[in-house]
Amino acid sequence: MTAVSLRHISRRFGEHLAVRDLNLDIDSGELVAFLGPSGCGKTTTLRMITGLIEPTSGDVLFDGESVLSTPTERRGAVMVFQKHLLFPTMNVAQNVGFGLKMAKVSKDEAAQRVEDILDLVDLPGLEHRKAHELSGGQQQRVALARALVVRPKVLLLDEPLANLDANLRITMRHLIRSIQKELGITAIFVTHDQEEAVMLADRVALMFDGVLQQVGAPDEFFRAPRTTGIARFFRNGNFLRGRRQGSIVRTDVGDIEIAPGSTNGRDGPTVLTVRPEEVQLVTKDTPQDNVVPAVVTSLIYMGSHSQLTVTIGDTPWQIHAPAAFRASNGDTIQIRLPRDHVSIVSDDDDTVAEQSGAAPPNQTTIA
Amino acid sequence: MTDAPMTVRRIRNGLKIPLMLAPALGLVVLLFGGGILVGLGQSLGYFPAIGLTDFTFENYTTVLTDRNFLMSLWLTFRIAFITTVLSSVFAIAFTLVLREKFAGSKITTFLFQVPLPVPHLVAASGIILLITQSGLIARIATAAGLMETPADFPALVFDKGGVAIILSFLWKEIPFVGLVVLAILQSVGPQYEEQARTLGANARQRFRYVLLPLIMPGVMSTSIIVFAFTFANYEIPLLLGVRFPSTLPVVAFRQYQDPDLALRPQAMAISIVLAVVAMLLLIAYRRLAKAAVK
Repeated sequence: MTAVSLRHISRRFGEHLAVRDLNLDIDSGELVAFLGPSGCGKTTTLRMITGLIEPTSGDVLFDGESVLSTPTERRGAVMVFQKHLLFPTMNVAQNVGFGLKMAKVSKDEAAQRVEDILDLVDLPGLEHRKAHELSGGQQQRVALARALVVRPKVLLLDEPLANLDANLRITMRHLIRSIQKELGITAIFVTHDQEEAVMLADRVALMFDGVLQQVGAPDEFFRAPRTTGIARFFRNGNFLRGRRQGSIVRTDVGDIEIAPGSTNGRDGPTVLTVRPEEVQLVTKDTPQDNVVPAVVTSLIYMGSHSQLTVTIGDTPWQIHAPAAFRASNGDTIQIRLPRDHVSIVSDDDDTVAEQSGAAPPNQTTIA
Repeated sequence: MTDAPMTVRRIRNGLKIPLMLAPALGLVVLLFGGGILVGLGQSLGYFPAIGLTDFTFENYTTVLTDRNFLMSLWLTFRIAFITTVLSSVFAIAFTLVLREKFAGSKITTFLFQVPLPVPHLVAASGIILLITQSGLIARIATAAGLMETPADFPALVFDKGGVAIILSFLWKEIPFVGLVVLAILQSVGPQYEEQARTLGANARQRFRYVLLPLIMPGVMSTSIIVFAFTFANYEIPLLLGVRFPSTLPVVAFRQYQDPDLALRPQAMAISIVLAVVAMLLLIAYRRLAKAAVK
């Protein structure tokens, strides 16, 4: 049970600043997901916590004490990699017992702990198999057991499920989550999959281009994304420009009322957003607040719902319509932006009107 | 009725691969096996050209009870064994350094591999020029005032311990083993060691428990080649060794070349013993090394 603090850490590779002035406190027993597109610096941050690479500047603290001068092998930050990296010359029991052997734990105790941990990851009886005789999911579970058996201060998981198929990934997420809670281990999980981050983590730390963008509970990224880039990363490309006056945003298509408590941003030019699944379709006859006209540009049947694309003014929006919804391209419909689901985002690029869909933000080069 | 062509086709398909391999296999069997068979025959006393047709083990008993033969066998074994172990150890040590990136690592790696295409004869001549008592090192040391005359330099060439022979073998074989080890290290990458490191393994443990088992199969197969080669090599011991005791290949060749054809069966017995001993030693070495990394 160890709390991890990252204080102003940066890492430079030649000209490239891979991580920039990152600050984060991770509570003891907490599971934090580092989320971001590939190359955003999340793995680099993880490697700085293990000590496999040194930060160019800043400090890494375990329980308030700097660990920068402690070599990786004595830091107690154990990594599980994307590839299982089971030692090919050893069987399952030898692999799992590796860390205990390095720590010179007695043979009897080691054997007992290996057995217990294999039970915990639901792999009893496979002690004598070699790595190549296991399935992908089993291999990754052995890798997890090998990390857990040494009772790490911090468990670091670097996209450990990326090589598994979709169903197995979901099973493994549940397994990791339940074991992490059961053992109360502080854990950091790196992923580029926002669904995985949301399912697993107590808190999500979103990174773009080496910079921490937003840290918070998973639902905050849906309810109140801080910027357009963050909203877009969470598959919300619905943006409307306007001018804010108190709890009203004046747009070209009408005034939109926002929740009075909304504190993100202040009066003046602003951008508002509503997630595709929160936008409501209404009829003309039922007068309601926050209703704006929209023109249908496409409607795709998705099974559980229909993906409706409209333009509001000249801005494209995505809406989750009921599966049975029918409309033709060019139809003008009325949509409602429910007050409690309108959030204000700061505009981190000036191309909101041209953006569509849920593509991650353009990478900007850091000088 | 339709069975007959089917069977023919099946036989034809079954024979396809052996037939395709036949030319190469034939060459090996004829040249190598034939040679061994003739040698075996002569060593057992079947040598019709000089009127010998009765099989006998006499040549083997003569050879195996000959003190000179046993001395040569021991010398040959010692040279091959030391060369094999040292070239493996040095190759591993060098490649551990060479796989790191440092200023000039490319040119160093290139220099490391320079001896590979150089013939053994050239290596032997180089060693003679360098470390005989009239060689370059002795002269430089004398000029620098470290010794009074070049003759004070220790007799490393034409010495009874075979130091010069081992040195010139090492010069050739270290890069050979190193090439294989380097290729393995590069394909494995640093990941397993990083994994071991986060699991608490220090540098020594990472080498012992992670790296060594990964590179050992490669080291084994190349060092078997090194052993077999140095055990049977003829030109380097001939050029750099003392006249007595000589290594077995030199003794065998000398007897083979002797105008007295009656010595030929003994030469063949020596060669056959050489081959059998080499084979047995290789098996033993393989077992030992496998047990060592477990």
